[in-house]
Amino acid sequence: MSVTARAFGGALAAIVGPGGATESPTACAAAAVDGREPRWVARPRTLDEVARIVALAHDETLAVVLRGSGAAQALGAPPERVDVVLDLGGLDTILEHNPEDMTATVQAGVTAGALAARLAPHRQTLPLDPPGWTTRTLGGIAAAAASGPVRLRYGTMRDLLLGVRFVQADGVMTWGGARVVKSVTGYDIPKLLVGSLGTLAVIGELTLRLHPLPEAEATCFIPVGSLEAAQELTASLVDSTLQPSRLELLDAAALAASGLPSATAGLVISFGTVEPAVRAQQAMVAARAARAQTRVETMGPGFWTTYDRMLARTGVTALRVSVTAPRLAPTLAEARAALSEARSMVATACAPLGLLRLAVGPGEPAMLAGAIERLRAFVAADEGSVVIERGSTALRSSVDPWGPVPAPALALMRGLKQEFDPRRTLNPGRFVDGI
Amino acid sequence: MSLSPEVVAELERIVGAGGLVLTAEGRMTYECDMHTFYKGAPDAVTLPVRAEQVQAIVRVCRTARVPIVPRGSGTGLIGGAMAPQGGVMVAMNRMAAILEVDLPHRTATVQPGLINLWLSDAVRERGWFFAPDPSSQMVSSIGGNVSTNAGGPHCLKYGITTNHVLGLEMVTGHGDLVRLGGKTVDRPGYDLTGAAVGSEGTFGLVTAVTVRLTHLPEAVKTVLAAFRTVVEASETVSAIIASGMVPAALEMLDEAIISAINAGTGAGYPEGAGAVLLIELDGPRPEVEAQAERAAAMCRERGSLSVSVARDETERALLWKGRKEAAGAVGRLTAAYLLQDAVVPRSKLPQIMREMVAIGERYRLRIANVFHAGDGNLHPMICYDDRRPEELERAKEANEELLRACIALGGSVTGEHGNGLDKSKNLPLQYAEADLNFMYRLRGVFDPDRLMNPGKLLPSHPACGEGFRPQRPVLPAGTWV
Repeated sequence: MSVTARAFGGALAAIVGPGGATESPTACAAAAVDGREPRWVARPRTLDEVARIVALAHDETLAVVLRGSGAAQALGAPPERVDVVLDLGGLDTILEHNPEDMTATVQAGVTAGALAARLAPHRQTLPLDPPGWTTRTLGGIAAAAASGPVRLRYGTMRDLLLGVRFVQADGVMTWGGARVVKSVTGYDIPKLLVGSLGTLAVIGELTLRLHPLPEAEATCFIPVGSLEAAQELTASLVDSTLQPSRLELLDAAALAASGLPSATAGLVISFGTVEPAVRAQQAMVAARAARAQTRVETMGPGFWTTYDRMLARTGVTALRVSVTAPRLAPTLAEARAALSEARSMVATACAPLGLLRLAVGPGEPAMLAGAIERLRAFVAADEGSVVIERGSTALRSSVDPWGPVPAPALALMRGLKQEFDPRRTLNPGRFVDGI
Repeated sequence: MSLSPEVVAELERIVGAGGLVLTAEGRMTYECDMHTFYKGAPDAVTLPVRAEQVQAIVRVCRTARVPIVPRGSGTGLIGGAMAPQGGVMVAMNRMAAILEVDLPHRTATVQPGLINLWLSDAVRERGWFFAPDPSSQMVSSIGGNVSTNAGGPHCLKYGITTNHVLGLEMVTGHGDLVRLGGKTVDRPGYDLTGAAVGSEGTFGLVTAVTVRLTHLPEAVKTVLAAFRTVVEASETVSAIIASGMVPAALEMLDEAIISAINAGTGAGYPEGAGAVLLIELDGPRPEVEAQAERAAAMCRERGSLSVSVARDETERALLWKGRKEAAGAVGRLTAAYLLQDAVVPRSKLPQIMREMVAIGERYRLRIANVFHAGDGNLHPMICYDDRRPEELERAKEANEELLRACIALGGSVTGEHGNGLDKSKNLPLQYAEADLNFMYRLRGVFDPDRLMNPGKLLPSHPACGEGFRPQRPVLPAGTWV
């Protein structure tokens, strides 16, 4: 039944051409995932090639590990097997942009930056800004459900992915969702695939909902005397008619790393709309800040680029901690105590959503693992979660990078994997509970 | 089918005699939703008050292999909350409590039978509301909204139900009481909540819903513009969107509807208007004012017959009056109609409106339209005389042709009403066999016995059956020998 490794390599070459696949030791070493070297690296140019590679691997019970830009390779557990690294970066065509419908269809390997460049002349945007977004692929952002500050206003990939073409684990090409901005026909397959980390199917094409670029935009920085005060001010800004695009909370280390004036903590808030409404909202923020005994500084337009770079590059380990908004300050205090032995920690948060990002400097894996477990116990009462978004192989081998999932829901997740990828062809072992 | 005495006794033990409807007259009340064309009374109706009772009902039915059909207020438009195969209906009307409101975290957790508007009513004084606003929101239940993934006029800006649901508690087809998602965002694992919203009871019965609340906007402004033709109005819709604003709502009424409304209470639409556009903007006051002015100017530039901008809440209510009465006004046009919910890309609106006129002429049927123009979601009402069976046949053919035209333009079968018994048969227009088969298998993960609301959402099609194998890619020849 099984073919030899040589035959598999030959078949790969027949599918993608001699330049599209390699088994050279250097290339395989460079493509290693968590220290596990693949036997082949394939870089298909079409979705049809993807389907045939996956079908081939499926029939031979080989493991396919997916790769976009590589930005999320340290998310999840180390894969249990790596036979083929499937590099989707070659699927880099923007297939369609319909400015009037405000939709676009792209191949999975198109970067968010490439799409932004294409949309900018039309004053449109795909509002997704996970750390380092310009070089990240849209398929990867979808698979990882990666998000950034603008999710406060626009939601995440979950809210923007209208339709998806994907390859099932046995190579069957499938489509879910729609090409229009509103559809409830059939089941909502796009939502099933967003955040599934390539463990159910390979996302090949995405039809996306676009938004208009705001006419005017302004960003304000508000220094605050304590984390508690920052949280209180956030609550006051949220319970208002303001419509911010972003509202980020930064601790002292994050302020320093983003080049902001030093303070114990700070909020950075931005508005995007017509000019008079931007000014009116800035004035409202200034009034609330004054009531909270602080001031407002207007930032230049480049701030969010600096902030994005800071988020993408800071910390050997990046943790994503999700709690309810009022629990943000106490959770951050607990994190400080738990991670006191780490060399450094930079904390930022999408404060109204209770979503905390911790960028942690070098530390012993055992210490970090202990701190993560301690933090998980702390947020459990709030039904919170602590996920390792980026971390060393050693750390992600010694502690579950996802944390616990309640048993009845987990049974359904295992059921999905069993139904759609029973041979564990796709990204085996990387998802929750070893899925 | 009829239920065995043992099953009836078990159900009575679970919900009590007062929570069980067995009489023929009583069950008749539950035989259809607002799509009265499809009828099917359940063999029993249960009215549980707790999730544990729902779970017990599912377990009893599962053991006896009896179909289970959920129902909220029964205001759906698709043949969803009715029992074509009989079985046990689980009506959620007694599970209608608000379990928790957490304003600092902007969430609420409610039972499925809660009326949509009641949630907004409960938090409005404190400045908040629940954004999904199906036209039925005064009577429809949140559980039903979740089940169909309901939309509404204001989902152009705010999104449909799924964009506001953070978590669900449900009894799956396995008979397990599970919690999916919850108050905190980005939970590890597959987005089961996202997959379950819109599953129309085929995954299980929702027993609690956690939703995101939205802050009331500072200002709301409504503009009403009348045009000579629907095509002119459609072009204005495109221009408004292209100018970079996202109105809260962008609704259109066509000539048939306008004359029906004018003949009734009279919303005062200008005579000779072939289309009325209702544009609502909300948000920070300066934004709303600037955009309302711009939208009004764009209507004038495109030859509108009249433009009115509401100056206060009373005037705003007046402008909406006609829109809200539209469905009722159709009663003056016709005794019966087929209602569609298809979507086309917004830019294709002028084209589909022209095609619709042609189809109406070809089939000698009146097609009235009141729809969500901003997102291309049509609601053509194909009018027919229900005393003439031949007309119904013609209406069905016109319906099918119009649906095919929408799909050919890159559209979708249903934008917000859902699939149910009515539209499930049209899924093969939009999805290939492999796509349908994937959905069929997905449902099986949640409901292996396929007893949950059977016959709904998925079509009767070979790809939605056991043993179907979708086509796999062709592999290189010669490598296998």
